[in-house]
Amino acid sequence: MAVLVKKVELTWLDRTYVWPVLQGMRITMKHFLKQITTGSRKRFTVQYPEWKREVGPGYRGLHELKRFEDSSIKCVACFMCAEACPARCITIEAEAFGDLLTEQGVIEKRPAVFRIDMLRCIYCGMCEEACPKDAIWLRGDYEQAAYDRLAMQFGKWDLMNTYADKDGKPKITADPTPTVPRKPILT
Amino acid sequence: MPETFWMIAKVVIVFAGPLTLAALLTWVERRGSAMIQDRIGPNRAFLFGRWRLLGLPQLAADGIKFFLKEDEVPQDANVFLFWLAPVLAFVPAVMGFAIIPFGRSFECGGHTYDLSLLNRGNGMGMLYPLAIGAVAVYGILTAAWSSNNKWSILGGMRSSAQMVSYEISMSLAVLAIFMRTGGYDPHQIIAAQTPMWNVVPQFFGFLVFFTAMFAETNRLPFDFAEGESEIVAGFHTEYGSMKFALLQLSEYLHMVTAAALIVTLYFGGWRVPFVAEPTVLLSVLSFVVKLVFFSWVFIWIRWTLPRFRFDQLMFMGWKVMLPLSLGNFLLQAFLMHGRG
Repeated sequence: MAVLVKKVELTWLDRTYVWPVLQGMRITMKHFLKQITTGSRKRFTVQYPEWKREVGPGYRGLHELKRFEDSSIKCVACFMCAEACPARCITIEAEAFGDLLTEQGVIEKRPAVFRIDMLRCIYCGMCEEACPKDAIWLRGDYEQAAYDRLAMQFGKWDLMNTYADKDGKPKITADPTPTVPRKPILT
Repeated sequence: MPETFWMIAKVVIVFAGPLTLAALLTWVERRGSAMIQDRIGPNRAFLFGRWRLLGLPQLAADGIKFFLKEDEVPQDANVFLFWLAPVLAFVPAVMGFAIIPFGRSFECGGHTYDLSLLNRGNGMGMLYPLAIGAVAVYGILTAAWSSNNKWSILGGMRSSAQMVSYEISMSLAVLAIFMRTGGYDPHQIIAAQTPMWNVVPQFFGFLVFFTAMFAETNRLPFDFAEGESEIVAGFHTEYGSMKFALLQLSEYLHMVTAAALIVTLYFGGWRVPFVAEPTVLLSVLSFVVKLVFFSWVFIWIRWTLPRFRFDQLMFMGWKVMLPLSLGNFLLQAFLMHGRG
């Protein structure tokens, strides 16, 4: 197929070449003056390490494992997220907990190990969508860096505390002993 | 004795002034181009880890980096010429400024002191910077040839062809000025521009000279010595550390000298518009303002225009610039003949 090249008819003024150059110089000078008189905060460039961009609410950044008000983990170790994960980066080992509840015939599960390999994670948000308990969220933190590979293996406590500072929650390193059963006990 | 001191002072001024301006121009080039392209430009160098100063410490950072870089010579390069080339490029660049009067001559104690390194009536006049400008091509060609690199030699050959092509029309444009003035001493040329600057009656000559200056300084849009998009970095592909810095600096020095030539030949040198007899300080200030403005124009045009193709360059050099300057020259000759 032949491509029709559109020929632009140049006026004699355009063909002098000097006038178009002056027009171009006017454009660049306009940009120069605009940029130089704009305050540095109002320019397009975000000076990254000093200023950070606010990300939208739908941003899929670093994960957080959500907790109840009594700081116990919401996750019930159902493995849905691990199954949904296309990168296969989630490792879960489940455990039963609460002697009281076991005696009463209700077994609650929770993850003993919940590990995400952040080097393999593609931040697709499938785990968030798959979770029946809303226990894993992908949130705004996009700055993940570490000095070695091992530091990028986020364990259960890392994941529960990822946004603790931002939300003003205490950092926790152990499961609280549940005092009341989470579900009404059926007798 | 005072003459000796005056001479030394002038040497220091003429050497350090353009060198400082050239160093500043590298900063202006980077920040100015950033502003033109709606960017920020280099601003990460902090003086003593504290003061940013609009990115000016970047100059010091670059200098330190150039000094600390490994000074490598390629295996198959001609070592002697490889070392000689940056000097060959740098020396003519520094020398070119010597003839330019950067202020009004003044009298003191029965002596007339000229504010140019070479006093008036030295017999070389404005032929000197043209000759020096022609020598500058050897630096580039030597750098290109001694690197023993195909990109380098391509860049060097192209740029020498370009310089030779544009030198003819440039010289013809300057000749018309000489004819108008009736002499080629820069002091005479400036004195002859009293009613109006040469740019008005010699507009086409100015266009040719201005364009040729871009070609002579190897600046974009006639950037054929380097041509990053096709021949890596052209003649200085193999250069690193301080040798590269010298080559780069000589380009900016050429720019300063070219701006000074334009100011002297076409914009009345140190003359101030509407002031018949400016004081010495005012005249120096006027010259510096014009010089800085034209240096900025060089940068401004670089970031406005895309590069030419080599055949377009040759077309322009031989088929547009040469007839234009020749016609300008002949017109000037006929006008002078008519006036008798």
